[in-house]
Amino acid sequence: MNVSAIVFWSLFTLTGIWLQGLIPGVDFLAPGLILCLQEEKWTVSAWLGLAWLFIQEGTGSLAFGTGLLWYGALVGLYYFGHWLFEAKNFLFMFILGLCLGVLHLILSHMMAVLQDWTLPADRILVEGLLQALIFPVEWGLVYLIYNHLPDNPHAV
Amino acid sequence: MDALASYTGLEFAKWVLAPGKWAALRVSSFWDRYVYFVGLREENDSLRATLAEASQELALLRERAAEAERLARILTIRPPVGWSRQGARIVSHRLGPNAALETVLLDKGILDGLKVNTPVTGPDGVIGRILRLSPTAATVLLVTDPNSRIPVTSQKNRTQGILKGEGANREMVVQYVSLGAPLEEGELLVTSGLEEIFPKGLPVARVTEVGRKGPSLFQTVYAEPLFDARRLEEVALLAKLTEEGHGPDPAVPSGAGGNQDQAAEMDPVSHSPSTKVVPPDPSGRAPGLEPPRPGVTPGAERKKPPRSGQ
Repeated sequence: MNVSAIVFWSLFTLTGIWLQGLIPGVDFLAPGLILCLQEEKWTVSAWLGLAWLFIQEGTGSLAFGTGLLWYGALVGLYYFGHWLFEAKNFLFMFILGLCLGVLHLILSHMMAVLQDWTLPADRILVEGLLQALIFPVEWGLVYLIYNHLPDNPHAV
Repeated sequence: MDALASYTGLEFAKWVLAPGKWAALRVSSFWDRYVYFVGLREENDSLRATLAEASQELALLRERAAEAERLARILTIRPPVGWSRQGARIVSHRLGPNAALETVLLDKGILDGLKVNTPVTGPDGVIGRILRLSPTAATVLLVTDPNSRIPVTSQKNRTQGILKGEGANREMVVQYVSLGAPLEEGELLVTSGLEEIFPKGLPVARVTEVGRKGPSLFQTVYAEPLFDARRLEEVALLAKLTEEGHGPDPAVPSGAGGNQDQAAEMDPVSHSPSTKVVPPDPSGRAPGLEPPRPGVTPGAERKKPPRSGQ
């Protein structure tokens, strides 16, 4: 990984955490994981995914394992979907975003039941919708930025 | 000849010199004005820069004055006997996709002697308790979360109940209030201390409605919290003093023994209140907050939050 990629992923992580503070309940790091799987070596994706997993688990209030299921399902959906779709297709990202939105509802509800908690269903629904909308837009944005990095061999 | 010389030579010299002098004066005057305007412009620029700096400084000082006022309000929180107080800043509210509960993130953690279930209060009343800890940060579960339950007593009629959150910007519910128990609208609800987490007598909420629904054996009581989570910036953390009375012992890990530590080991969300009664404050006064300032009622400035399901 070159210097500009290191700077890019560091800035992406910092910005993602700030945005998560501004819009609670939405994962702003997930589009980065998909972009990383598309553009970087699998080891880079694994390390970044691990770091982001700990950030989400640490800042969240659900029991440990939710983030693992969340990112595990995202990676699984990506590998399953890229057999059917072009991996860098916006439509595929839109479908992936929808799946994440539904996954947010299912995971939150499942973990709440397991932990004997009560969660406001309307809030979780809004968060799921936001996740579904934000995911493809953010992916498109970071995809463009990443492909304009000076050291990128595929620079536009 | 002398006169002729005067009328000719002198006059000629005058006509030769005068235009030059006039021109020199004009040029000199123009130069002076130019230099003056350049100086004026520079002075103007300098004054503009000074004004910008002064405006920035004024904004900064205003911000600091507002912060000092907020911190002064935090300092009015009088810790109950046997408890110490320390301030903390709110770094963030709910963060990330796994932030399912109503929480805030503080800038203090284990290194500051905090433990799970450490009470967190604001200038007007209880805000919540520590849910999760890291070396320099802590997550606070707000009393408004639907999973938060605190045993409370009404300040005037001493009616007991369990205060349950209903979510952000919604009124809370007081559960298990017997049908015959006296309770008035506007009455302050204070912690009863039965759960051994909060000191007895801290204000938590204000009763907004008392009624009865259906064949229930209990009254339906709604209450509003005494803080607005979106406007919170600083909070106070209360910690039990050690026997020496020199503040909490950070070396003692939670769960290392003692009733408080046992309470700290309990799940801060789903714990149930114990039946052990905490002895009342020997000073005879309700611990916690200073009496409200004249004309200022805790939580009175807030807009009334809606009820769950509305």
